[in-house]
Amino acid sequence: MCWYCEQYGDPEIGDGLWYLNPYNHARNMYKLRMPDEAFKGAEVAREGRQTDISIADLIDAIDEGDQGKYTRVQRALQANMGEGGGGQVVPLEDSDKILELCSPLGLMACHCRKGVRAIEERSELEMTCMGMGVGMLKWERWPENYKGGVNFLNIEEAKEWNHKMDKKGFVHILMLFGAPFIGGFCQCDYTDCYAIRRAVDFGVGPIKSHYVAEVDYDLCNGCGMCAQRCQFGSLKIEITTQKAYIDQFTCFGCGLCETGCSKGAIKLLDRTRIPALAEVWR
Amino acid sequence: MVSARKFPKITIDQERCTVPFLCKKCLQICPTAIFSVHGVKEERLKELDPRIDGSYVLSAQRLDKCTVCNRCLDVCPVDAIKIQVP
Repeated sequence: MCWYCEQYGDPEIGDGLWYLNPYNHARNMYKLRMPDEAFKGAEVAREGRQTDISIADLIDAIDEGDQGKYTRVQRALQANMGEGGGGQVVPLEDSDKILELCSPLGLMACHCRKGVRAIEERSELEMTCMGMGVGMLKWERWPENYKGGVNFLNIEEAKEWNHKMDKKGFVHILMLFGAPFIGGFCQCDYTDCYAIRRAVDFGVGPIKSHYVAEVDYDLCNGCGMCAQRCQFGSLKIEITTQKAYIDQFTCFGCGLCETGCSKGAIKLLDRTRIPALAEVWR
Repeated sequence: MVSARKFPKITIDQERCTVPFLCKKCLQICPTAIFSVHGVKEERLKELDPRIDGSYVLSAQRLDKCTVCNRCLDVCPVDAIKIQVP
């Protein structure tokens, strides 16, 4: 079980997966009105947050060759992400279930691509991010954050968009806006997305999904489609065997290789049932 | 993990680089995507205009990925970027 499921999952609902617990999608709605008692846990943890650190400090630590500082900053950032701005990678099937739980669903331009490559997603066809929950109803107050506007979608439209993005090869990530409230659902790839890049390079960011991909060597024909779709550098085609090889320790379980395989040769396994991978969330 | 390699230092002359979100040349040419551009402030009911000087700020974030290929220097129309190799 991941940290989020331990804290915010309900064993009775959605196999205990925290993101299938409808309460986590609705919390923001009650944030202001909820009695202090209910919110105490999260607040106490947040007070202990070291907020004056960033990825820049991590890069400084590498530059200075200071392993101690690196580990310290990395741990602090991971703790901050757990509480606040983190999230989790989710495969297509699970993300469809999440879309059924949230309302409203607003399609918007990606913040990361705007920052990293100065790309402006101005039309509905280009937009790769989705704002979720009641917070979206206030979007017009912050037009700079929603350049290009917001297109509200119904569940079917959102699923269609999600599948289209999966076909294109984007990884689906849930973004937290103060745990456990899920405020965003993004379609990401390496370099363009701050979150994936930090997660892959420094282990700071969204955690891996509850799944791990595995190849069925009898079905794999070595076509290489899956290798093109892996954003985490965890999948390659072995030249000698001409089969896909997956490094399950670095696999984020996004399921893109699975959905891209025309032979059905890749399956997603439950991470928590594999002894050596059960606690590999970073 | 910490490596022994020292990273290059990149300084951006903010007086010269005034409209990075409009220009975006360095952001899009960088092979390792080390730059980042962000609005100077988030204001209620106000959208920033990228054509206005100083509305967006360019920064070099991922120094660990800079290969000193100098493509950004070549492409910058106002010579605002300086790279110091350690």
